[in-house]
Amino acid sequence: MPDASWLAWPSLREADPVLALAAVVLLALVAADLAHRLLRLPRLMGYMLVGMLASPLGLGLLQRNDLADWKPLIDLAIAVLVFELGSRLRPRWLLDNPWLALSSVLEGLLATLAVGYLLVWLGAPMLSAMAAGVVAGATSPVIAMASVHELRPRGQVAERLLLMCALNSVLAMLALKLWPVLAAAGQSNWAADALGWGASALFVASGSFLLGLACGWLVDRTGRPGGHRATMPVLQIALVMLASTLASIWGLSPLLTMLIAGITARKLMGHRLTVEPSLGSAGAALTVLLFLSTGLLFTLDGLVQLWPWVLAIVVARLLGKGLAVMLLARPSGLGWRQALALTLALQPMGGLAVLLVMRDFAWQSQLPGIDIAVLQALLVATTLMQLSGPLWVQLGLRHVAGECSTEPRHGA
Amino acid sequence: MALEAFTRSEPLTLGVELELQLLDTLDFNLAPRAQDLLRVLDRHPGAWDVKPEITRSMIEIGTSIQRAHGPLRDELHDLCRQLSRGARKLNIGIGGGGTHAFQHWSEQQIFPTERFHYISELYGYLAKQFTVFGQHVHVGVPNGDDALWLLHALSRYVPHFIALSASSPFVQGVDTGFHSARLNSVFAFPLSGRAPFVLSWDEFGEYFQKMTSTGVVQSMKDFYWDIRPKPEYGTIELRVCDTPLTVDKAAALACYLQSLCRHLREERPFEPTEDDYLVYTYNRFQACRFGLDGEIVDPRTKQRHKLRDDILRTLARVAEHALDLHSLEANDQLRESLFQGNDATWLRAQRQAGLPMPAVVQAASERWMMK
Repeated sequence: MPDASWLAWPSLREADPVLALAAVVLLALVAADLAHRLLRLPRLMGYMLVGMLASPLGLGLLQRNDLADWKPLIDLAIAVLVFELGSRLRPRWLLDNPWLALSSVLEGLLATLAVGYLLVWLGAPMLSAMAAGVVAGATSPVIAMASVHELRPRGQVAERLLLMCALNSVLAMLALKLWPVLAAAGQSNWAADALGWGASALFVASGSFLLGLACGWLVDRTGRPGGHRATMPVLQIALVMLASTLASIWGLSPLLTMLIAGITARKLMGHRLTVEPSLGSAGAALTVLLFLSTGLLFTLDGLVQLWPWVLAIVVARLLGKGLAVMLLARPSGLGWRQALALTLALQPMGGLAVLLVMRDFAWQSQLPGIDIAVLQALLVATTLMQLSGPLWVQLGLRHVAGECSTEPRHGA
Repeated sequence: MALEAFTRSEPLTLGVELELQLLDTLDFNLAPRAQDLLRVLDRHPGAWDVKPEITRSMIEIGTSIQRAHGPLRDELHDLCRQLSRGARKLNIGIGGGGTHAFQHWSEQQIFPTERFHYISELYGYLAKQFTVFGQHVHVGVPNGDDALWLLHALSRYVPHFIALSASSPFVQGVDTGFHSARLNSVFAFPLSGRAPFVLSWDEFGEYFQKMTSTGVVQSMKDFYWDIRPKPEYGTIELRVCDTPLTVDKAAALACYLQSLCRHLREERPFEPTEDDYLVYTYNRFQACRFGLDGEIVDPRTKQRHKLRDDILRTLARVAEHALDLHSLEANDQLRESLFQGNDATWLRAQRQAGLPMPAVVQAASERWMMK
């Protein structure tokens, strides 16, 4: 690991945390803009690259455990994006188009099975391989939503991407909650443990659902006529912060909570609900911080030894998702080119920070019994598919589906 | 280029075309989804037709040839049901109305066909501003001479159809004060307005040849007249109606035109003259601006009438023909609407109830999709 202490400028670790944060955010904005203008790279990728450069993988200006202090802000950034995602979803669409519902479940399931079986075939322990498969089944709702802000697509593929990543992330989150039941199979007190984990999963699902309902209801009540339009984003951020913090304290899923909150607020408020991208400029700053942190958490440790497993995860989920989307493309009303675009756009992997219910970044404690090599291969694959994630989405939505207008747009 | 021969068709047969809005179900702005919807409806079992329009947020549907109100309305209902089912499958809304209330013309994308690209090249931004939605009604006529006679005889009734169908009060988020603002967009085209006053197909052929020799016109499609002959179908086509908010209204308007044409052809209450057009644009403006409350001038007597009263009198005059054509119900529906107000009035009422523009468009879409 390179030591950056020889650099003339002070170590960010020793600097004032706010100053350090401001410096890195500023650097990220400038670098991302340069990368966007010179190399046509998505800005999100620029933020992650700056984070990666500052991480132990690069110059080592910041360490991964430095993020512990920032975790509430990172959680809030995720919550803001997921709330906005929920507010854009129309669950009724799944009833209007059952083939789409089937396709949404199948793409996550096939990706999970493909990754799991391929890892087992390559010698990974079955249970750990299936846990990796479950994580790989999810598409990052955070990258999908932030890419939609940047690309501003209008079309079938973008809408399906948002719906599918919300669904497959929730399903993966629930499956991961139940995973310890399988992990403990065969042990003497398995029945009691299974009951406990099952009850815990039920508590997380129903608790998150109820908390999300309450948050959505509060957004509606507090945003009733009389409230100033300019304060709406502040109000939304405050309620999102409240609900995601409560979800975290009570051990619930912020992901499910914020999705339900967004859906509920849209259902209750209809067109009265104005959700600005990232809930306004404060949320946009949080998004930059989120992607910086994502870059800081990247790991490529063990890539040399684990590359067959990493490759297996990447290729198997591409094939699994592609097969499901293509199989049900025509019945669900999608053209072949759009199906290809959707497959590509579904590739960014969901980070464990989004899927797991936890208070720190210690993945292993959340997945007791997981094989350390499989976990590392999963983290490396996640690194690669998150860093390249915005490119996959851009390729799918802009170049293959053609859903991003190149002409200037005006707000309605 | 010579004008093609006028195809003979059965007199007073009807065909209805409707240009429809495709809407995003999140913000109810126009959504460029025509290709998706056309693909889903590719093998629909109906006799009707669905095809693209100039921008990707529009589609045009056309009925089969119809003779009476009942079957026409049934076909439009079937079409509406199937279109709505396809739209729900794709998470889009479909709406009537002559304009979209708040779309911005520069956001529209030209549908990728050779003709639409040609129009876009020729007319520039006007082509995108042409994201307006009309109802066209074809009426069968036996020959070109009859077509031109009927076309000019109908000219004094054009304000009726504008006022009855008007459903475009809002443009780019603003209440224009017009009942039909859509026709202002059509008027920007150099070949819009009215057909030249010639009453024989041979004379019309000479006019057409002169126009094509100037290079301004290549085919009959280049004329955006309020009423134009359609020689390949053997019809005249009334193009001034806004797309109504319901298919029932669309069927009623078509059948009112049918009974009016029968009245004109069989009773010949007057002979059309060039002087009929002295007040044409004034009357047309009154209908666009004030709807049913507009005041029109009779080109013969020079007397002023309220448009609503003129329509009432005409409905009474054509009642016998409507009875023979089994379209009394259609005319009754229009008579009622004279007192309830047109669709523009309905849209304004939604807005005045405090709904934001997207909610007004959503309400109109729900009405069209019969939710």
